[in-house]
Amino acid sequence: MSGRVIVITSGKGGVGKTTTNANIGTALARAGKKVVMIDTDLGLRNLDLLLGLENRIVYTIVDVVEERCKLKQALVKDKKNPNLCLLAAAQTRDKSAVTEEQLKDICEKLQKDFDFILVDCPAGIEQGFQNAVAGASEAIVVTTPEMSAVRDADRIIGLLEAKEEIKSYKLLINRVRPNLIKSNDMMSVDDVVEILSADLIGIIPEDTGIITSTNKGEPIVNDEKSLAGKAYNNVARRIIGEDVPFLNLEEPQGVMAKIKKFFSGLTGKEK
Amino acid sequence: MILANLYNKVLGFFRQTEKDAEESSKDTACNRLRVVLMQDRTNLTPELMERMRRELVELLSKYVEMDKDALELNLEQDGDQVALMLSIPVIRAKDEEEIKAALDAEDEKEEETSEEESDEASEEDADNEQNLDDEKASDENSEAEETPEDEPEKSDDNKETGK
Repeated sequence: MSGRVIVITSGKGGVGKTTTNANIGTALARAGKKVVMIDTDLGLRNLDLLLGLENRIVYTIVDVVEERCKLKQALVKDKKNPNLCLLAAAQTRDKSAVTEEQLKDICEKLQKDFDFILVDCPAGIEQGFQNAVAGASEAIVVTTPEMSAVRDADRIIGLLEAKEEIKSYKLLINRVRPNLIKSNDMMSVDDVVEILSADLIGIIPEDTGIITSTNKGEPIVNDEKSLAGKAYNNVARRIIGEDVPFLNLEEPQGVMAKIKKFFSGLTGKEK
Repeated sequence: MILANLYNKVLGFFRQTEKDAEESSKDTACNRLRVVLMQDRTNLTPELMERMRRELVELLSKYVEMDKDALELNLEQDGDQVALMLSIPVIRAKDEEEIKAALDAEDEKEEETSEEESDEASEEDADNEQNLDDEKASDENSEAEETPEDEPEKSDDNKETGK
């Protein structure tokens, strides 16, 4: 078995790299794939929180590198899904504790036992980014329809294109707000795709459910009703190779939403 | 339901026309981003772009009279390709004498500078200098060839605008 190593990166912080990582990883595992996630954000680890695994971490990636434990010992199994594992970052060290070579080595070893190795990249374009990208052959660039995030994504794409090991990269647009796009107050998905001229792998709507799911340490893909969860599930299916159409975020879903829309139309009249 | 839909459509129409009047914040964002990304990608700072604009104004003023402040120079992206877009509002075509005068002035200037340069140039640079002079000479020739061809066209333009 030779698994695919995918780095999830963005340049800018706070656009949802870690959330994307947790959800795509969980969705892939739910689809029956063997998945391991590597948190490379040394000193600022968060992937463990989003997965609700913060209390189960015994060894970290730094312990593996410094040979205090075996690689397999450091892999934390997910609560629900035995197909899913986490290799946590060390919280007390900085980015220099692991080198590009060491990360490459870890990825190569994990490729033998897993279908997917998802590497969660820290924000920025410094050593942390270089480390995270070192072992990967594919990349997902996360951005939002905001100027600063798009600019940083463009920078990251430029850096990825210069890397021979990265064979392909795809764009994931997060925190899309259809209402704002409709009123021309937010760049549309098409605008962002055109500006960055990159292939799209996912459109994720802004969803308050993300906050509650983070609170609980439970990725939103486990919630069948959530639109963002559905969108993340679709991303996972596209990664596997299925041809899944993008969700139509314009039209509200379900009967209740339609009734709500009708009433909001009426109240709008009074204004 | 139908009424509400109709109302929304009408409202939407008015909103649209209101929005058309002033650029939406989304369009502002897109335009600003395009400009800034071009700078990021090409290493052309606003200062360099302005310098390029000034030099182009200088060059083109020899041939046409234009609105110098309205000349727009932008980097634009079409798919993977980056293009330099130049938009020049021409006020009027210059007549042949004006063009000739401008070109003659240019030639004199070039001769002066090349003379100065060759005076200053050290012996080591003499070979390079000669090559440069040769290039300039061929440039001058090609310009001389082009001018007579251009002249009838320009005078035609003048006649048309005269009518």
